[in-house]
Amino acid sequence: MRHVTIALAVARKDLLSEWRSRELVPALAQFLVLALVIANFGFSINSDNAQAIVPGVLWLALVFAALVGFGRAFAAEKEQATLEAMLLTSAAPAAIFAGKAIAATLLLVLCEAVLLPALALFFGTPLTFVLAAAVLLATIGMAALGCLFAAMVAQLRAREVLLPLLTLPLWIPFIVAGGQAVQVMMGAEGTFDQALRLLIAFDILFVVLTSLAARFVLDE
Amino acid sequence: MSAILAAGITHWFGSEPALEGVDLVVERGEHVAVLGENGAGKTTLLRILATALEPSAGGLEIFGLNAHREKRRLRTRIGYLPHQTGVYPALTAAENLKFFCDLRGVDKARVAEMLDFTSLTHVAHRRAGELSRGMQQRLAIARAIIHDPLLLILDEPDASLDAGAHELLERVMGKRTVVFATHDQALATRLGQRTVQLRRGHVMGTGSRLHVVR
Repeated sequence: MRHVTIALAVARKDLLSEWRSRELVPALAQFLVLALVIANFGFSINSDNAQAIVPGVLWLALVFAALVGFGRAFAAEKEQATLEAMLLTSAAPAAIFAGKAIAATLLLVLCEAVLLPALALFFGTPLTFVLAAAVLLATIGMAALGCLFAAMVAQLRAREVLLPLLTLPLWIPFIVAGGQAVQVMMGAEGTFDQALRLLIAFDILFVVLTSLAARFVLDE
Repeated sequence: MSAILAAGITHWFGSEPALEGVDLVVERGEHVAVLGENGAGKTTLLRILATALEPSAGGLEIFGLNAHREKRRLRTRIGYLPHQTGVYPALTAAENLKFFCDLRGVDKARVAEMLDFTSLTHVAHRRAGELSRGMQQRLAIARAIIHDPLLLILDEPDASLDAGAHELLERVMGKRTVVFATHDQALATRLGQRTVQLRRGHVMGTGSRLHVVR
């Protein structure tokens, strides 16, 4: 119960800080819309090639936004010298990590709330439950991994370079399954049930693994 | 039983030694001032005592507990004021303290008490980022003692504080065991019952208040 209280307190603190400073979400949302505009002109997307290209555009934009968002989760604490103050309480590192990951997930979900309608506007992608579910499920697992590696590299000078190098290979399963779900939704052959089940399985696996690893990463 | 028993504490940053073979015994209720020029190893020593940093070698016991194995248990008894205030600029002074009450499982009634204790009640609802450096330091002091720790580790506690600082620090230290670092000999003399002089990671000498005055 105490772990839940701590995780919620950390998440609330991060969300309140973002609400007051508005540093991350407006910038990321702008980035996502700009990425779609560039893709629209760059790939000359039309109704014939949309099914093949749009899922790629969606996940590429999301991956880069997520890298920035999750990277900030711990980098900001490091810059403000608050991470150490938090870790020197008796709070369990796993609870602190969970709180940071919850806040980072919610902030990215806010950006996705801009991305998905923009995707519908530019490329005519139907706004369906499956699309939202696929993006949300991928965000949860990606947030768990992204925040773990962000915590790991937060103390390093080259963190902006190291974070993508460590994170991107492990995000590939989410991008493959998520991309498949979106392609099926846009008319490709297959069922999206399998892709969603895969995303749920990856979420469970990585949320459990990162929660276990968080103790070692944050404690050291 | 001593409050702190450190034997042969050594710490290296890469190939640079920050501390070499530091022995330190601090009795319960004792106030010890750590003096030394920049780069002497004061902050490194304090961070090790606060369990923020693992020494490269040496043993450390705090209140009879092994500082490496019982880190989490010890952190309920230690209050640490780092060199940087480390407050959340977007949160108000009261919200900063409430957050640490949640992390430490402390009753939120302590927030008003601590704000009053550090004379910050009038700025309780102002964002920490808008407070002066001295007020932020007071807020960091309030955070360090919000759980009523037995041992206080203070890194340059008088930094940016005004003329009333010494009186506040005296009240903060009270009957607790305190180890604090400072450049200010006058502060060390006034608040410390004993001083430890560090130079390039070595203890060059210890002395009572009288020794420092002479």
